[in-house]
Amino acid sequence: MTPILAVRGLTWQPDRRPVLGPVDLDVLRGECLAVVGPNGAGKTSLLRCLTGLLRPTAGELRYEGQSFATLSRRELARRIAYVPQIRPASVPLSVEEIVLLGRYPHLSPFQLAPRKEDFAAVDAALALVGIDDLRRRPVDELSGGERQAAFIAAALAQESELLVLDEPTIHLDARHQRDLAELLLRLLRVETEAGRTVVLATHDLNLASLLGDRLLALSAGQVLACGTPSQILEPGLLEKLFRTRFEIVRGGERPVTLLQLGP
Amino acid sequence: MRPHPRIALLVLLLLWTAVVIGAPLVGSQPISLGDVLRGDPTAEAIFWQLRLPRVLLALLAGAGLAVSGLAFQTLFRNELAEPYTLGIATGAALGAVLSLRLEEMGVLWGMPLVSLASFVGAIGATALVVGLAWRRKGNTGTLLLAGIAVSLSCSALILFLQYLSDSTQTFRMVRWMMGGLSVVGYGEVLWAAPWVLGGAAVLLALRWDLNLLLTGEELAASRGVDLVRLRLQVLGISALMIGALVAVAGPIGFVGLMVPHMLRRWVGHDHLFLAPACLLGGGAFLAVCDLAARTIMSPAELPVGVLTALLGGPFFLWLLVLGRRE
Repeated sequence: MTPILAVRGLTWQPDRRPVLGPVDLDVLRGECLAVVGPNGAGKTSLLRCLTGLLRPTAGELRYEGQSFATLSRRELARRIAYVPQIRPASVPLSVEEIVLLGRYPHLSPFQLAPRKEDFAAVDAALALVGIDDLRRRPVDELSGGERQAAFIAAALAQESELLVLDEPTIHLDARHQRDLAELLLRLLRVETEAGRTVVLATHDLNLASLLGDRLLALSAGQVLACGTPSQILEPGLLEKLFRTRFEIVRGGERPVTLLQLGP
Repeated sequence: MRPHPRIALLVLLLLWTAVVIGAPLVGSQPISLGDVLRGDPTAEAIFWQLRLPRVLLALLAGAGLAVSGLAFQTLFRNELAEPYTLGIATGAALGAVLSLRLEEMGVLWGMPLVSLASFVGAIGATALVVGLAWRRKGNTGTLLLAGIAVSLSCSALILFLQYLSDSTQTFRMVRWMMGGLSVVGYGEVLWAAPWVLGGAAVLLALRWDLNLLLTGEELAASRGVDLVRLRLQVLGISALMIGALVAVAGPIGFVGLMVPHMLRRWVGHDHLFLAPACLLGGGAFLAVCDLAARTIMSPAELPVGVLTALLGGPFFLWLLVLGRRE
């Protein structure tokens, strides 16, 4: 099977400072790839390269065999949706308005109003995320969890097959973390129409374990290891990755990591 | 207060229409619509040749200033950004002052040299701002700082030129910088209309991009907005619009700040509604200001730029106090 996203020799060196790479990576259709690693490992830079926001210093990215270099920003956005971690403190629009803006790559500047299929995509995204009741609410009045849900709905309205999320559960309480995890699991069922491929970066190793089909351990801009949760969430590798000790217990099928205190 | 974009737009349209019809009737010599329609020669001359062109120019200038102010505020995510903060209007003023100093009042393309010089000044200042910020790939913070630096430098040069000039020249320079809409006939209106209407049409076509910017630059770029191109488009269009307006009306401050600020609370932030609202509201606002400027001290006239500047400061204090209370 051809990978949905193929990355070869990806290097990002702003001002000749090596931040990332070289990275080789295949993202497979319908999988969830969780990128883990310490602060400053290059997770966000990798995600920004995968979405085409950063033009790599060297290397090549291909979406279904098509080189990023031959795709315009809009064409790329129809294929890849991104939910960044950092957003403005105030977004003076309603939920419906920001979700509709997810349709941007499908809209023409000469179009007076969004088309029927744009509104249908908005409705579908709001229903999928389960925030239809928030539709008319101003984003600035929402709680952190609701706001994250609204931005994810906006990314879904973009109708891109690949969804890239940077720290999606940061600042979320346990219930909202569960809601988000369940939403992503629903999206990952590729046999459904809403089927997506997901790449996410997270500090939450247990979320990575819960969602990730594969985990990518990134250290100082390099791929330390890539494999199943059981292969990556292993005391020796984690100690090498984070320079701190973990205990691993089994929770169902998935490994659960516990941070160890002391020397 | 929840915004009501459609109702607001309708009210603004009615207000705008009332201004177009009503404002030319008021002045040091009041005339009635009946006299104009009956064909009274004095009333006709005052209405068609003196007051209507002036009101139309005010509508165009207010519209252009407000809509480019709006575009800048969204682009820079800063409610204090406007053509003045970015050195465009100061560049235009420098061009005008320089040409007054050179005292070559020739006429080119039907425009007096001072107008042409201010137009070139506006474009030149914008090119300089963009050029200075280009090394940082035109990120908004650098653009804003470069704009302020260019604006301050132009102001300093204007002071220097005024110091070098004799008192007659200095007076003309100061008078020009107060801004004014006293025109006879439609030459200025016909000159300003295509720039303002064309510019507004392009900014309206960019409404999705501008709306997306409200959700953050990173998100906008990931949706397919070419940020560098968008910044160049907004800056370039605004420079042409403001340059064309300053050329005929002089620098008129604070309209680009006040009008979008007032309308946002009422119309909301969606540029599909806010941009047309700024066109209508900015025009009506400046036309009413000009109406006040030519009647308060009647038969003498106050330059409209002085009036808008006098309103600007208290307006922001009021916003600050009101904003705190909310």
